[in-house]
Amino acid sequence: MSKMILNVIHRPEMTPEYSATVTGQGKEEGSMEKVLEKESLDIFKTQQRLAHENGLKCTIQMTYASLFNEEAVAIAKEDHEKYGDEIGLALYGFQCEAFKNKYKTKDFCIWMFSLEDKKAIVHDIFEKFFECFGFYPTSTSAYFMDADLINYVKEAYPQVVCAVATCWEEGPKAYHTCNNSWYTLFDGGPWAPWIPSKQNSHAPAANKEEDSGIVAIPHLSRDLLACYDGNGSNFGTHPQNVLRGMIYDTKTWEFPYFYNLVDQYRALEKYNDGYAYNMMYVGPGWMNKMGRWEQPYELLYKSYSEGCKYYGDLKKQGKLVDMTMSEFASFYREKKEVTKGNYNVPECALWRDILYGSDKQLFWYCDPYMRACFNMDQGGALVDLRPYAAKLEWPVGIGTKHVQDASYPFLIQEKYRAGYFTHYAGAGTVRSAKFSCEGEEVDLCLCPTHARFSEEKIDGKKTRILTLNPVDIEFAKTTVTVQTRIILEEGSSNIKFERNILKSTNPEAKVYVDEYITACYGTTEYPEDMMGIRLSVNNENESKEIVYEYHNRDEHLQNASVVKAVIPAIETGVSMTQSGGAEGYIEEGYAFSPMFKLGFKKQIVEGEVFATWLNLQKAN
Amino acid sequence: MAQLAKGKLNYRCPSCFMRDYDIDMFYDKDTKIYRCIRCQFRGDEKKVLEWNEMVRKRYGDMYTRFTNFEF
Repeated sequence: MSKMILNVIHRPEMTPEYSATVTGQGKEEGSMEKVLEKESLDIFKTQQRLAHENGLKCTIQMTYASLFNEEAVAIAKEDHEKYGDEIGLALYGFQCEAFKNKYKTKDFCIWMFSLEDKKAIVHDIFEKFFECFGFYPTSTSAYFMDADLINYVKEAYPQVVCAVATCWEEGPKAYHTCNNSWYTLFDGGPWAPWIPSKQNSHAPAANKEEDSGIVAIPHLSRDLLACYDGNGSNFGTHPQNVLRGMIYDTKTWEFPYFYNLVDQYRALEKYNDGYAYNMMYVGPGWMNKMGRWEQPYELLYKSYSEGCKYYGDLKKQGKLVDMTMSEFASFYREKKEVTKGNYNVPECALWRDILYGSDKQLFWYCDPYMRACFNMDQGGALVDLRPYAAKLEWPVGIGTKHVQDASYPFLIQEKYRAGYFTHYAGAGTVRSAKFSCEGEEVDLCLCPTHARFSEEKIDGKKTRILTLNPVDIEFAKTTVTVQTRIILEEGSSNIKFERNILKSTNPEAKVYVDEYITACYGTTEYPEDMMGIRLSVNNENESKEIVYEYHNRDEHLQNASVVKAVIPAIETGVSMTQSGGAEGYIEEGYAFSPMFKLGFKKQIVEGEVFATWLNLQKAN
Repeated sequence: MAQLAKGKLNYRCPSCFMRDYDIDMFYDKDTKIYRCIRCQFRGDEKKVLEWNEMVRKRYGDMYTRFTNFEF
C-alpha cells in the first residue's frame, strides 16, 4: 500500500459560530465573547499540541478575529518556527466586533456576501495578515469558495496555491438535519482534492485555460456512503463528527468507525495510481469545554487525541506522509500529471458500507466532465450525475440568483428525485436497464451485486472499468445471467455500459433489453420547471423532436443513432448512443412526474454484448 | 413552571435524531425532564440514554474493525 497524504489544519477561532449558540444559551447576545475567546484559544493550543506530540505538521488557518489577537499571532509564529507549520489564512472568524463594525452585518459565510463585499473582505483580511506576519499566505479556506471568489483571490494574491473549498455533500441533507437553519447548500462537488475550474469551483478544470490556479481540498474526508444518505457532519475524518453521530460505545468510549473511515480512504490508493488522501480540519467549537452531544469534554478530548495518535502512528509506520496545504498543492499537481499538461486523471472510489452492517457498495467517479455515482446494490445503476461538462457559471451570494444555493445541479439524484422506487405514480431519476420476456419485466435496480475495479489501455487511452458480478434474472420460464461492465475512458465525457447475456436457460425465448435514463435537473428535493427542454431522436434518415410541455408524449425511431435532451436552464446536453440494432425513444413527463426519459430497446440473445454510451456536453 | 434551559450535557432529542434531525433539548430543572420543542419527546436522563441506544441500532457495524474494504 502506498503512503497516504494527510493535511491537518487548525484554526484559532475566537468566537466559533456553533460554540456561541451552545455555550451562550440563555445569555444576552454578545456577552459571551470574552469567555469564548479565552476558551477557544486554549482549545486551539490543545489541538496544536496533540498534533505535534504525534509528530504531525499542521497548517494554521488564521481567522479574521485571530489577526486581532496578539497571543494567537504569536502562537502561529512560534509553531511555524518550531514545527514547520504553515500559516495560512481562513475566510472565517467574522463574528467579531472589528468585522461587525466595519461591514454592519452578522453574515459570516464568505460565499454569501456580494461580490463587491467579497473583494473588500479578501483585501482587508489579506492585508491584515501581511501586517501581522510580514508575508502573504499561500493557502486559504472556507466551507465553500465559489468561482468568482477563487478567481479574485488568485488575481489579487497570486501566491495562493491551495484552498479548502467545499464540504462534500453538505447540502439540503445538512440543512434538514439542522432543523433547516444551517445554510451550507453545496452538494455536487468532489470528495477528494481537485483543481477548480474558473467557471464553477465544483467542476474540475479540463485544461490550462480553465485552471483557477489553486488546488482545492474538501473540508474533511467524508464517508462516501453514509454522507450521501445522511448528515455530512456525522461521518467524516473529524473525530468529533463520530461523536455527533453517536457512533461510539458509551461504556468504553471506543470508536472503531473513525479508524475504519481513515483506513478505507487509505485503501482508495488502489483506484488512483497509488494515491490516497485524508484531511482533518477541526474548529475549536467542536471541543467545547462544556461538552457536546451528550458527552463531556473528556470524550471530545479523547477522540481528538486518539485521532491524532492514529495518524501519527501511521506516519511512524511509514504509511502516511503529513504535508502542509501548500506542500500538498505541489505534490498533487505532479501526482495527477497536471504538470505534464494532463487535467483528465479522474478520482475513483469503490466504497463499501463500514457502518450500517450491510454489504452495499458504491463507485464514485469524478473528472472534469462529470461526477457520477454507481450503486452496486441496484445492479450498477447510475444514481447521481453532475454534468460538469457544462461548466455551468453559477454565481452565488447576495445580488445573484443564488444567494445561498451553491450546489452543482444534478441530472440524476436518487435521494432527491426518488431513483427507481416511486410512490404510486411517476418515475424517479436513474440510469439503468430493464429486461423483459413474455410479458414480464425486471429492472437491474432490483439485482444487488458487487463490483471490482480495473484499469486498461484501450485504443491507447487509459480506461477505468467496473466489472460487476453476474446476476440472474428469473422469468417464469426462462432465466438469463447478465453481466454489466461500466467503462470510463479518460477525458471522454461519456460512460459506456455493456450488458452481456452470459447464459440463458432457454435460448429460444425472446428477451428484450431497455437501456434508459430517467432524468431532470435541480439542486434540491423540489422540482424545477421543465418547460422548454428539447428531446430528440435521430437516425440516418429522420429526426423527431419534443419540446417539453408536460404532455407525456413520446417518439420512437428504429436504428436511432442518438437520443438526446438539451436542458437550457443548466446549459447541458445529455444523450445516449448505441452499438447498433436498437430502437431509440424519447419520452416527455407530466406534472406529477417532471422527468424526461431517453432510451434504446432491442432483442438480445445469449452471448451478445449490447453497448450504450451516456454522453454529456455543454449546450447553450 | 419556570423557563426551560440547556441541560448540562447538551442532550439531543433521540426521537428526532432517528429521523435525521439534530435538535438540542431543553431541561426542566423542577421535573428533571428533558423536552424537545420540535416534537413530542419528553424524558428523564435515563430515558434519553436508553433511546440513544436505540439510535445506535442502525449502526450494525459500529463495533466492527474492518481490514478489508473489497468484496
